[in-house]
This record gives sequence, structure tokens and C-alpha cells, in this order.
Amino acid sequence: MLIAGLGFVTLLSLGTGAVHISPRAIFAAMFWHRPLSETERLILFHLRLPRVLASGVVGSALALSGLLFQGLFRNPIADPYVIGSSGGATLGASLGITFFSQWSSFGFSATALLAFVGSAATMALVYSLARSAGKTNVVTLLLAGFAISTIFTNSSYFFELFDRTGAGNRVLASWLHGVIGIPAWPELAVGAALLGLATVAAIPLMRTLNTLVLGDEYAQQLGINVEFARVAIILIGSLMTAVAVSLGGVIFFAGLIVPHVARLMMGPDHVRLLPVTALAGAIFLMLADTLARTVFAPSELPVGVLMAFVGGPFFLYMLRKMKRSYTV
Amino acid sequence: MSCLLRVDDLHFDYQGHSVLRHATFELEEGSCSALIGTNGVGKTTLLRIVAGVLRPATGQVRLRERAMETIALKEIARTVALVPQHLELPFAFTVEQVVEQGRTPYIGMLRGPGRSDRMAVDRALDLADVSSLRHRVFNELSGGERQRVKIALGLAQQPRLLLLDEPTQNLDIGRQVELIDLLHFLRDEGITILASMHDLHLVDKNFSTVLLLSPGQPLIGGSPEQILKPSILEHAFQCPPDRHPLLIERAELYRKEAR
Repeated sequence: MLIAGLGFVTLLSLGTGAVHISPRAIFAAMFWHRPLSETERLILFHLRLPRVLASGVVGSALALSGLLFQGLFRNPIADPYVIGSSGGATLGASLGITFFSQWSSFGFSATALLAFVGSAATMALVYSLARSAGKTNVVTLLLAGFAISTIFTNSSYFFELFDRTGAGNRVLASWLHGVIGIPAWPELAVGAALLGLATVAAIPLMRTLNTLVLGDEYAQQLGINVEFARVAIILIGSLMTAVAVSLGGVIFFAGLIVPHVARLMMGPDHVRLLPVTALAGAIFLMLADTLARTVFAPSELPVGVLMAFVGGPFFLYMLRKMKRSYTV
Repeated sequence: MSCLLRVDDLHFDYQGHSVLRHATFELEEGSCSALIGTNGVGKTTLLRIVAGVLRPATGQVRLRERAMETIALKEIARTVALVPQHLELPFAFTVEQVVEQGRTPYIGMLRGPGRSDRMAVDRALDLADVSSLRHRVFNELSGGERQRVKIALGLAQQPRLLLLDEPTQNLDIGRQVELIDLLHFLRDEGITILASMHDLHLVDKNFSTVLLLSPGQPLIGGSPEQILKPSILEHAFQCPPDRHPLLIERAELYRKEAR
């Protein structure tokens, strides 16, 4: 059902925009080789398709890293933004955009690599701050994550000062608002491949995540190498965050909402949640991005800004709900 | 009867001060023992060491005559299960999903649970008498029900030794009796039991051996009659003999017997 949904949303997103192209025309072009007009072709293959695919990859990556972090930290309000991993990725990527924008090979840009390093390093930092006497304090974790996330995201603005030519400025600024641009095909392919790789690596850890939900001590008592599992999950989650950040910039709360909705649909078993979250994340962000670029068409609202308006209230709702049902 | 667990001169330090000193004891296969002592004396620590979660500073734990540190984590988890005091879940896992986690030491990373795993879960739910709760959400259960589910989780590990950390805490007297009956039933099924206990009234008739930890003293073990003497408890719990009903009651009991 979700796969059909993904197909439908892809078509919808492709057709919608400042210039409308009917799904029928797209179908016709796909299956009956009925040619589209030159303008339509240009819009479809060079502008819209890469963007729609990119928003799918970004949505999937954010939702999956949210799922991993929520399970690992045993907390339904953890997401890559809240616990700081996206802040680190943002800082790393800003460095890349400002200073190493020329460097890239095989589709691996310096921006993407630095985003991964920033994300993983921040997670290690936040995690060590929250850990004392062999226990992870969840409240400290969230607060430390939020503080570091804010510091890092905002220090990215300093890089504007270093940019003498001003060329990188516009890239950086739009990027910090969370705009899914129109990525070059190699960049998109590398992002999708890395996400695929990270997802495959996450599959055997899903059962472990179920056990970790019982608590570190319980998991250890059940024969799980907790340190190893934790490092593996943090690395995989950071890789996913880096993919999302390097393609889509700063997008709040998608990693929070999607796993929550998936859990309402499927229950808390991570083995079943993984595929559902991946698909739902892609659908969710494709819709959000389509909405962002059509509401004020021909102007565009950055999808990051849209998500802040939708995600912020949702986060507050979760916070209230948590206060009622569970003690943190 | 053969010796399942042998603990030899165990020491453990926690943040600079020593928690356990000279803890030496053995557990016979099929025995049912209580571990008693004041708050903070190291009961939980001792259980965690025996479960392989903590490593002692010095001393040795031998499981079926094999040194604990030479046994793989998963193998320990197939022999020893620890039922901790607290289990809080952040998500709405059902009872069945919780108990399934007990199969973790039997399941590889890629292979899912098989027929034998499902049968072990069914049997664990049955033994702990929580089959009827299987589709309920764990977080929504009462204290007594949760305690039983935690025990079912331990039983799904198919252990030879079941460790319980204050299993009767926060239970009303009816649920306490049910829990003791469950422990006796499991002992009759051949599972060796070691439970830390606060309520000494429950220890007296229900356990064959009592292990007593006192602050700064070596662990002593014996039958309930040998250990639950007012003179011993008074010092071990640092409690004036005329202030607590239990000590008064037991003093009377021993006086009657002396006559």
C-alpha cells in the first residue's frame, strides 16, 4: 500500500508546480513514448525529477535516523535535529560550502563528507556529555543535544563572513533554511546509494534495537554487546543524517513525526518499522516539498520553514503527551 | 546434588567505597535461596555480578565449575537470567513482544525467531501465568502483572539459575503470596532460585537457604533458623532489638523454643 502511495505521490509531485503537467501526459510519455513538449521535458527531467527524488531520499534518511535515535536513546522525542546530529552535519557542510566548494570526486563532495564527520562527532560529544556513571540521562541528553545543535547551526552563519566573493553566500543561506535544491545527478546517486547502504547495514540491528529498548543493563544481561551496538547505530544514524543534510540542508522535525506515525500504524517492533518508516518518510517529504513550492507559486517557501511550522507544534504535542504517560 | 554456582571471596568497589567484601557462597542445583541485608549493602551488585553484567574487582564466580570470565555473554544469558527491580519502556510494547526479548541469546543477528523460540515464549508465558495478558501493552499493567511478565521474560531465556531483585517489592500481600508460590513452582520445575528480599517475614518459611550481607562484614549463609536470629539481625540491620515488631516477634519465638 505504501509502495503504491509512493508511486502516486511521485507522479503528483512531478506534475505539480509553477507549470502544471498532467499525470496523464507523464504516463503517456513513460509507457507509450508519446513525446512531451520540449519545455515539459526540460522541466520534468532536469528540474522536477531530481528534486522530487532528492526530497524522497532526504525524507527517508531523516525518518530512518529519527527511528534509530529514538530507539537507541529510548525516547520518542529524539530526532536528528533535537539531539544535535544535524547541527554537527550543518556545521560540517557549511565548512564545505564555504571553503572547499570546488573539491569533489565521484560525486562525494567535501560538503557531504564534512557533514558526516560533523554529525558523527557531535553525536559522540552529546552522548559523552549525557553519560555519567554508566547511565545515560535522557533529560541531559536532550538538553545537551539542543544546546549543541543550536550553537553549531548558528555558527554556520559565521562562514558568511569569510566568503569574500559572496557566491557561496546565497548557497549557504538558502541551504540553512532547508531548501531542497535541484541536485546534480551524480550527487543524487551518491546520496541514494549511501542511504541504501546505511539502510541495509541497519537491518540486522533492528532486533538489537528492540532489546536495547529494555535498557542497557537488560540488553547486556541478554547477551548483547551494548557498546558495539551503540557505536554501530550512531554511525549509521549519522550517515543518514549527513545524506539528508547534504542534499536538503536544515529541515526540522521530519525525523520526529514520521517514526511516530509509523509506530501508530505498525506498533513499536523495529523490524517492521524499518521499511514502513523509510517509505513513509519519502512520501512525507515529497508531499511537504511539493506543498512548499506550490503554495506561493511562482515563489517558493523553503521546505525547512514549512516543516518548522508543522513540526514545532507537533513536537510540543509530543512533549505534553510524554509528560502524561511516561516519566522521563 | 551438584553445585551450580560457586562464588569465591568476591570484592567490589563502587565509586571509591567497597560494596562487597569477602562474599563466598555456593548454590546447589534446584535450591531456593534468599539474599538479605540493609539498603545499599550490595545485594543488587552481587546479583549483577552473578548475571555477568558487572565484573568483580577481585574474587571469582564459577558457573558449573567454569570461570565466569571465560564464558561468552550469550552463553551466560542462556544459563542465568536476572529479573531486575525496574523495567520502564518508552514505547507501547506488548507483553508478548517483551517476553520475546528473552530469546535474544538464542537468535542470531540475521535469523529471525524460529519454532523453538515461539514455543519457549509460549511456555514462559504459561509458567508465569501471563498468557492471558499476551496482547496487552506492558506499560498499562499493574505492578503485580509487570512482575510476572518480567519473570516470564527471564524464563524465556530457559535459564538454570533465576536471579530476582526484590521481586515482592511494591506488591500487596495477596500478590506477594502468589509470587512466592510461583517461585516454589519454578523451583519444582528444576530452576535454581536466588532472590534478594526485604520482607524478612516472607523469607522465614519460604526459602531453604538465607545469605546475609552486612556492611563491612563477610557474607554469611545458612538455614533461616540459623540466620534469622534476633542477635544476628540486630547487628546486620543496625536496628535496636526492641523497636521493630519482627525482632520482638523473633526474640519471643526463640525464647519459647529455648524453653
